Amino acid sequence: MSARQHTVLVLGLGNDILGDDAVGLHAARELGKEFQRKADIVEAAVSGFEIMEILEGYEKVLLIDAVVTNRHRPGTILELTKEQFRNVVAISPHYMGLPDVFLLAEKMNVEFPTEICILGMEIMPPYELREELSPDIRSALPELISKGKDVLSRWTA
Amino acid sequence: MKQIKIDPITRLEGHGKIDIFLNDDGEVANTYFQIPELRGFEQFCVGRPVEEMPRITTRICGVCPEAHHMASAKACDAVYHVQPPPTGKKLRELLYNVFYAGDHTTHFYALGGPDFVVGPDAPKAQRNILGVIAKVGLEVGGKVIEMRKRTQEVIKTLGGKQTHQVTSMPGGVSKGINEEERSKIEEHCKWFVDFGKFTIQVFNDIVLKNKSYVDLILSDAYSMKIYSMGLVDEKNRVNFYDGKVRVTDPDGKEFVKYSPHEYLDVIAEHVEPWTYLKFPFLKKIGWKGLVEGKDSGIYRATPLSRLNVADGMPTPAAQEEYDRMYKTLGGKPVHATLATHWARIIELLGAAEMALDLSRDPEITGTNIRTIPTAVPTEGVGIVEAPRGTLTHHYVTDERGILKKANLIVGTTNNYAPISLSINKAARGLIKKGTVVSDGILNMIEMAFRAYDPCFGCATHSLPGQMPLVVNIRNKSGEIIEQIKR
Repeated sequence: MSARQHTVLVLGLGNDILGDDAVGLHAARELGKEFQRKADIVEAAVSGFEIMEILEGYEKVLLIDAVVTNRHRPGTILELTKEQFRNVVAISPHYMGLPDVFLLAEKMNVEFPTEICILGMEIMPPYELREELSPDIRSALPELISKGKDVLSRWTA
Repeated sequence: MKQIKIDPITRLEGHGKIDIFLNDDGEVANTYFQIPELRGFEQFCVGRPVEEMPRITTRICGVCPEAHHMASAKACDAVYHVQPPPTGKKLRELLYNVFYAGDHTTHFYALGGPDFVVGPDAPKAQRNILGVIAKVGLEVGGKVIEMRKRTQEVIKTLGGKQTHQVTSMPGGVSKGINEEERSKIEEHCKWFVDFGKFTIQVFNDIVLKNKSYVDLILSDAYSMKIYSMGLVDEKNRVNFYDGKVRVTDPDGKEFVKYSPHEYLDVIAEHVEPWTYLKFPFLKKIGWKGLVEGKDSGIYRATPLSRLNVADGMPTPAAQEEYDRMYKTLGGKPVHATLATHWARIIELLGAAEMALDLSRDPEITGTNIRTIPTAVPTEGVGIVEAPRGTLTHHYVTDERGILKKANLIVGTTNNYAPISLSINKAARGLIKKGTVVSDGILNMIEMAFRAYDPCFGCATHSLPGQMPLVVNIRNKSGEIIEQIKR
């Protein structure tokens, strides 16, 4: 990652060849058009330790990602804070998730953001290779961007 | 026992699912393990220039993009009938070995390894890197983080980008290294070797000195006698990047050794109605169902398999550990699934040593890094060992190098049958008549497949969402009598 230029980071996470899994990347890209002078904008396809390295040193982070809970309609936006992750245990046998990352950073006294806002958009399980967003997610994207703008406007005022 | 037909509609969409069917006596009759399949690969690729594939396929997996990058690059070399010059090949190998050391670090300390370091009976909230730190000390957390940072720095230097590498292309690489870069990489590699030795010591102190852990490793519930597969060099030593694929039988005897372009002569895929994923098996032996033994065509492709098929490691410290492992566990081959964790850290050390050797190779700073292809492109197969198994990329193009066909066998796909078998054995060993199925039992079943470091599709979202594993216990009529979610 290039050198940090601001104290605020917008981190869009996702896989750009797995359809709706890329929604976080799209949102970060759009937010960058308005906020690139006030925040660092990063699009990434990483997890675990790499996320910790990216977040290190920022004061505030807006993290945007797709999520599969199967409890909400696709396109539903979930707004989460770091504290809500505290009691979630590691969920994957293949990569470290955010809960472990937050706890590890705390344990190791890594210089971590004091404020993290996570915007997750519910999607269908993304197991088909394609580059486009589905119609449901494409139509929900403006609202995701709007919520991101609210957060960033507050942080960079 | 009543035969249960599973409607294809119930085939899985989403994360992993295990269905355990009990018979009249409350014992395990059958188990079905389902994981989602990444679909649409060929349709996605057809029509694209083949040289784009090393950059596109890094996106298949956010955890091991380097493996796809290299297998794809090698397939492109074959499509264009060209070989990288020595410096180009060594630069690819250097990147790959550094990646290996980093990837195995993550698995051992954060994913599968905690099962042992913290203990299989520990609460699930502790079976992660935080539990490892609590058990081993804060120092280990710092070292793991530093290991990851250093490997990523080297990968970025050699690969052009940290996560989605771009430098490998047909005939070689696009970027070499100067002496200043080489020197920094050498310093990192020295650190990696020390870290590898540290990790061996951790395993020794926490796992091998604990008799109950060793007994667990050697227990029948986690043992499976099937064929082993892995890449070997010209001296039949473990090699992650290049060589021929060697397969040995359950007794350790060589069954076949094949070049990448011969893979379809050796491997076929079996289809079952209850899962999208296919089961690769050895064609010559045949598909006999989910059973062990010399007459079953099922094979394993894991760190343990790689060490089983090889005659040794190419580097001294890793060789010493290789010898010690086999001496401790009763000789070659070892079929104890949980010994995969030990094999993995031997590979971590071996990869670090190989990377150090390459960083000191006089050709590594050479300027001849690519052979420009001149032949008409046709068809090619590239094989590397991904950390979680033998990875095959197969491309067919037209005369312009535009893809007409593409096929992929990823590491975990090789292991779909053995994982299913491992789960079956663990379930049968743990669930008897009258057993109350608990979270502890779930964990013991999970340990059976966590050792494989399985890749369940490659979405990279990190937020907690749907539980990644659901275990359904069903009665003889197929009704769910208990469900455990993680």
